[in-house]
Amino acid sequence: MAQAESSAATPFETDFWKDAKLRKMWDDIVPGEPRKTLPYKLTQEAIALYCRAVGETNPLYLDEAAAKAGPYGGLVAPPAIHILLMFACTPADDWMRSPGTVNAGQSWSYNIPARPGDTITLQARALDKFIKRERLFVVHDNVFFNQHGDVICSGRGQTIRPM
Amino acid sequence: MTSANFDALKAGDTIDGPVFAVSRESIRLFCDASLDYNPLHLDDDYMKGDFGKTNFGGIILHGMNNFGLISRMLTDWALPAGAIHRRLETRWLKPVKPGDTIRPAGTIKAKQTTSKSRWVLVDVAVQNQRGETVAAGEAMLEFPASAKAS
Repeated sequence: MAQAESSAATPFETDFWKDAKLRKMWDDIVPGEPRKTLPYKLTQEAIALYCRAVGETNPLYLDEAAAKAGPYGGLVAPPAIHILLMFACTPADDWMRSPGTVNAGQSWSYNIPARPGDTITLQARALDKFIKRERLFVVHDNVFFNQHGDVICSGRGQTIRPM
Repeated sequence: MTSANFDALKAGDTIDGPVFAVSRESIRLFCDASLDYNPLHLDDDYMKGDFGKTNFGGIILHGMNNFGLISRMLTDWALPAGAIHRRLETRWLKPVKPGDTIRPAGTIKAKQTTSKSRWVLVDVAVQNQRGETVAAGEAMLEFPASAKAS
């Protein structure tokens, strides 16, 4: 069955409390089990908004003519665009959106840049979970692909889960 | 700041990052850009509560905003020389709040040549206006043989 693209199907729910009860708590998360994900069409508008938020001004991300003459032969997204892709490629009941989720550390490896117009997919799972100093941790394992099946980037993160 | 020239780079050389003024508006903009609307970044009432042993007292910057600034510093330094930002690992040490000013910086730690390419390891850190380190980590940049000034 074809999946609806997250950008087209329903507007993004910005109230993270709304679906809070549908999300898995630390107790429910099974390391190794794939998370539900959604394909997402990355637009130049989304890239430009991300650039504005962190002050990116490199023409490779923003100026089509300059980017065409550059090393990638066209516009690309900054490597850290996975910050957006993580939420764009996961549904409203995904536990990354649980209010009170605290980011404890991230490591990301970059293969090729995402480009405007790419349809991005995510393969994600919890890889591990543990308790340390009375805090509930989950280790995340994420890989983003483009529509050709090429790896864009891969990352491992740790979050402290709300109690 | 050190120029991105693989042969000339040595341990201890530094990379300067951009100054970034944190405000309620900048945090809100990052919510819209990242789609991360966690109430940690939006809801002062919620943030008056305790998180285990921690109380933040108000909304805080997204940790990934720090990450994005470090990444911006690395690409702005590396891209003009034909080098590629290949990896970034960070952990967060202190919360950042509206009114703070933060700035990432990098220090070259080591160089490595492998069978197919050349790599530079960089220690990275973000400091606030009080000189406190709010985030730290390390990065890896690739300097392909085709990179300029080699």
